This record gives sequence, C-alpha cells and structure tokens, in this order.
Amino acid sequence: MTTRRGFLVGLASLGAAPRLGWADVGAPAWLTAGMKPDGAYVLHGLSAGGVSRFEIPLPARGHAAAAHPTRPEAVAFARRPGVFALVLDCFTGEVLSRLTPPEGRQFNGHGAFSADGRLLMTSEVVAEGSAGRIGLWDAGTWRRIGEWDSGGIGPHDLKRLADGRIVVANGGIQTDSTDRTMLNLETMKPNLALLSAEGEILEIMELEEELRQNSIRHLALIDGGTGVAFAMQWQGDPAEAVPLLGVWRPGEAPLLCEAAPGDLFAMKGYAGSVAAVGERIAISSPRGGAVMIFDRSGAPLATHRRADVCGLAALEGGFVASDGSGALWRLSAEAMEPLARHDVAWDNHMVSAASL
Amino acid sequence: MRHILAFLLLAGLPAPAFADVGAAVDRRILPAYEGFATAAEALAAEAGTTCDPEALRPPFNAAWDAWMQASHLHLGPSEEKGRALAILFWPDPKGLGGRAQRALLTGDPAALEPEAFAGQSVAARGLAGLERLLYPSSPPEADACPLIRATTQDLARLAQELVAGWEGPEGFAQNLLTAGEPGNTRYLAPGEAVQALFTQLVAGIEFQADQRLGRPLGTKDRPRPERAEARASERSLRNLTLALKALREMAVTLDGTAARTASAFDRAIEAAEALEDPTFAGVASAEERPKIEELQRLIRQIRRTALDEMPPTLGVTAGFNSQDGD
Repeated sequence: MTTRRGFLVGLASLGAAPRLGWADVGAPAWLTAGMKPDGAYVLHGLSAGGVSRFEIPLPARGHAAAAHPTRPEAVAFARRPGVFALVLDCFTGEVLSRLTPPEGRQFNGHGAFSADGRLLMTSEVVAEGSAGRIGLWDAGTWRRIGEWDSGGIGPHDLKRLADGRIVVANGGIQTDSTDRTMLNLETMKPNLALLSAEGEILEIMELEEELRQNSIRHLALIDGGTGVAFAMQWQGDPAEAVPLLGVWRPGEAPLLCEAAPGDLFAMKGYAGSVAAVGERIAISSPRGGAVMIFDRSGAPLATHRRADVCGLAALEGGFVASDGSGALWRLSAEAMEPLARHDVAWDNHMVSAASL
Repeated sequence: MRHILAFLLLAGLPAPAFADVGAAVDRRILPAYEGFATAAEALAAEAGTTCDPEALRPPFNAAWDAWMQASHLHLGPSEEKGRALAILFWPDPKGLGGRAQRALLTGDPAALEPEAFAGQSVAARGLAGLERLLYPSSPPEADACPLIRATTQDLARLAQELVAGWEGPEGFAQNLLTAGEPGNTRYLAPGEAVQALFTQLVAGIEFQADQRLGRPLGTKDRPRPERAEARASERSLRNLTLALKALREMAVTLDGTAARTASAFDRAIEAAEALEDPTFAGVASAEERPKIEELQRLIRQIRRTALDEMPPTLGVTAGFNSQDGD
C-alpha cells in the first residue's frame, strides 16, 4: 500500500518537489502547546472537532505559536524569558530551524508573520531593562535580519492588521532578565503601539492613569482585521474590579468592557487569552477558572466556569477553549460544552492555523 | 473498600488516590449552606419584629458566623448571579458599598421591594451592608428600618437560593458526586471534583493570609488598621478564626490522612485564639504587630504544608496555567 508520505518521497525522488500546504497535515484548525502525563512538552495541531492531527515534541514548555500563512510550518515560542523558538515542519515533525535571539535579547512568547509569509516578527525584550523590540527574521532562510523598537516596555503579543500594519501589546512590565520578577509595578505604563509594515511607530494608545497597572498582554483581531481586542492583567489591588478587556481601532479611543456586577471578581484580575469572532469577544482566566463573552459593543453576555481554562480560539460563529486538564470546549454566549479530551495539559494559547 | 485497600497495601501496590468528595459534600458543604439559611431566616424574622440595632446584633452575628462555614466555597451557585458577593462584599477599598447604600437609604423606597432590591449593587447589600446599619458610625440620614428589613430579607433569599442550588436531583452537589459520569459536563473525570475542592481549600487559606490579615498589615512603614474586615462589629479576628476552622474541617474531611496539614491548622488556630485583638488594631503597634505577622506566617505555612502533603493522596496537581501566568 502506498502511504501518503511514501508517495511524496517518491515524488521528491523524481525531482518533482511538491509544495505542501496546511491541507497536507490534515488541515488543523488550531495549534496549541501542552504537556503530556510523562512531563514531555509537545505542540499539537487540532481539527475543528478537537481531534489531534499531529503531535511534535518540544524541548521545553511552549507558550504560543505562529502559523505560517501558507506553508505547513509553525513557529513555537518558549515561555518567557524565551531563549528559543522552533520552526517546525508540521508534516514531518522535523525542526527546520531553531531561532535564538541575539545576545542581550529575549523572546517574549509571541510572534506573527507578514501577509506574504516572507517575514516573521517576534516580540522581544532587551534583557536588561525590558525595552521592547520586534525581532525580524527572514522566513525563508530563518536568518535574523533586523529589529524594530516595539514602542514600549515588555511587549508580549502582536498582531498584523488586514492592511499590514502591526499592533503590539507592550505590557509595560520590566522583569528581571533571569526570571519573571516584576521590577516596576509602581511606575509601569503599558500601551498598544501601532507600527507601519516597515516598523515606524505610528500611534501609541495608553490607558488612563488609574488603569496604569493594567498590563496589556494579549490581542485578537476584530472588525475584519481593522482593530484589536486586548486582554489585560491587573497588577494593582486585587480588591479593585477593573476592566480586563478593551477594544481599540487605530485613531480612535479605546472601549473598555466591564464585567457584569455579579462577576466583577470572577477573573481574579487576570485575562490570559483573548479571541474574537464576528460580534463576539471572549477572554479567559486560568486563575479565576472562567471565560467571559462580551459583545462588540462591550456588554457582558456570559460567564462560563472551568478550572484552569486558558487557550481560546474562534470556531465557526463561536469559540473553542482548552484547559490544563486536557479538555477542549466549544462555547458560545449560551453554553459551554465539552468537545474532546486528551491526555495533554493544554498550555496558555491556541492559535488559528492558516487554513481556517 | 477497607478490604481492598488492605489488600493493595499488603500486595505492596501503591494505594489509589483517595479523596472523600461525598463526605465533603454531605458533612461540610450542604450543612454549611443549610446552617446559613437557618440563621439568615432567623435574622430576617427578628428584623420583621424590630429594627433596634441592639436587638438585631445577636442574630446578625449568628448569621455572619454561619456564613463563615461556607464563605470559602467559590463554586457553583454562590458564583452565579453574584450571590457570594451580595452576601459578603469585602474588601471594598473604594467604599462602593457605603455610597450605594446611602443612595438606597435616602432614595425611592420602591428600590427596597424584594425584586428591585435583588438588582441593587452587590456592594450595598449583605452582611457588610447590614453591619453599617447595625453599627453606624454616625446617626443615619433617614429611617434605616426599611433598608434593614430589605437587606435581611435579601440575605434570607440568597441563602435559600444557595441551598436550592446545591441540593436536589439537579443540584450542584450532583456535579461533584457524579464527576466523570456520562452527562456530567461540569466535571469530566472523578479527579476534577477533587481538584475543584482542593483548589477552594488552597484559595481559602490564601485569602485569610493575603486579605484578612494582609490588608490591615499593609507594610511595616505603612500599616493599614482601617482596612481590617468588619471593624465596626469587631469581627475581624472572629471571621478569620472561624474561616480557619471551617477550612481545617474541609481539609481533614477531604483527606483523612492529612495529619501534618491538620497540625498546621491547629497551630494557626491556636495563635489566632491567643490574639487579644478583635480588629487587628495592633498592626500599627510595634509590640503587637509581630504577633499578627506571626499568625500570617503560620497561615502561609498551612498552605505550604497542604500543597506538599495532600496532592499525592488526592491525586491532584497545582493548575498548569493558573500557577504559570503570562
């Protein structure tokens, strides 16, 4: 029997090198990192139904991944302070390249590709002082080709808007270069920075003074890629209920989304992931064991409870969530239902693969 | 069960992870909510006959005592419709409760009708709200009686809803008791119910150290005695002690073998009972402050001991993501 892989090897040997796409790896809808019961770290490609399409070993705990827009390649980022990112061939499981930040830089967990897939942009910090940088990598040769100023301290997530401009979540927190000790909670000032496709800082959005300790960390595209939903982590007094979700379109004032009065503390001041689909935005809190769904205008629609839930991604008109017990959930403003369960503790993020 | 366990031990096999979720539900959780419902009902009944603060203080304190048996449980019905917040809104650093309550005191009496009152700010209602009315720092701007009655009736309703939400064939207790069975979409495996209760235990211990003590302790340079819970009714230490006792019972019911954790609780409870400082006013005194800091240290020691001792027996772990953060 001719296996698909054997067939492709055959083709390659004939000199007709095939161009593989995401469909060739089972068209995963999402990529997510996790830990197996034996403590091994892995990256999975998951179908929309929650079936694992592939599992690739990782050398250490992952955080987020970035999917190449066309080729079935994923870049898996280590958790902060990151010393590696792996470019993985999602067909063979092979490590195509190991990206190491230049001397004095650290990866900060997230990255994004340019629309044409030729450039990879990585959130980074200068190890001493946590000044933000966007590292630039040639997505063909995987060589470092430069860096930009991220427009703030401690950048974490970044997203490419539909028009090619970049939004960076500068979390504002200066950390010790050897661990995650936070050094500037009294003076921190997070922002969202809008960069041109060439890295020029076009606009900086800061929150009002009393929300200065609300670290802006994760992003999801909204309104057809013309704006972002941003998720925050409150570093101030936990007894103060502050909004953990905001919506921003360049050139406009941010819209902050408050939880329903009875759920003010459900998230424990911490939003770990954000996803948006149509007119709905979801944020998750592994600390609070909760997912909140808002509508685009900022009104809270639902709070669903699930311990250690964090990963979130869009799913045909709703969302999918993952948790530390290995469960995958389908959720909407109306309900939260189990989709599948694996023997993998799912890590903080799920990212949509290009095929979706 | 005992025979199977003995057999496993004799056979040299590791004993299975064992946690008594059934006992925790039947002997701790459900009686705690029932006790609170009874006390809240008695308070409302008394408020129906008098609005004299002196007369209402005993049933008020009994209701707060009863709530301390359940206040550490942040799962199920208490987390729906903001019930736990509406029963006890603390801490309240911005004084939201007092402000919202003044508006109710002097505003349209229609807001005090049961249905309308249930929709008022969670900060204005509940035990902390009643405390402001029964232990006023200054004479009220208007007759407090209608608001006292509305608040006690609201508390009794909330308590009833908690009991109803937990008990019966559709009650939340069933989710814990049938974890992992088909149709249970809340807890997908038996271990998830154990994990949920253990998480409540650890979070409850943290709350005592970080909030009940941590808020008034502030820093050495800036102690914050005014931030202690329930100062007006002088219940700060009492709440802490009752909560520690309730948490201890929860721990040993869940895991009867957790001897070190039980001892750690006992040391902290003993220190709390020896403290002659009902409102933690001593945080600002050079002489008294070390005793309160020591109590906080002992409570943090309970947490460490429980996290060290109980997970292997219970078959639980610290949360993969909740403990990581990024």
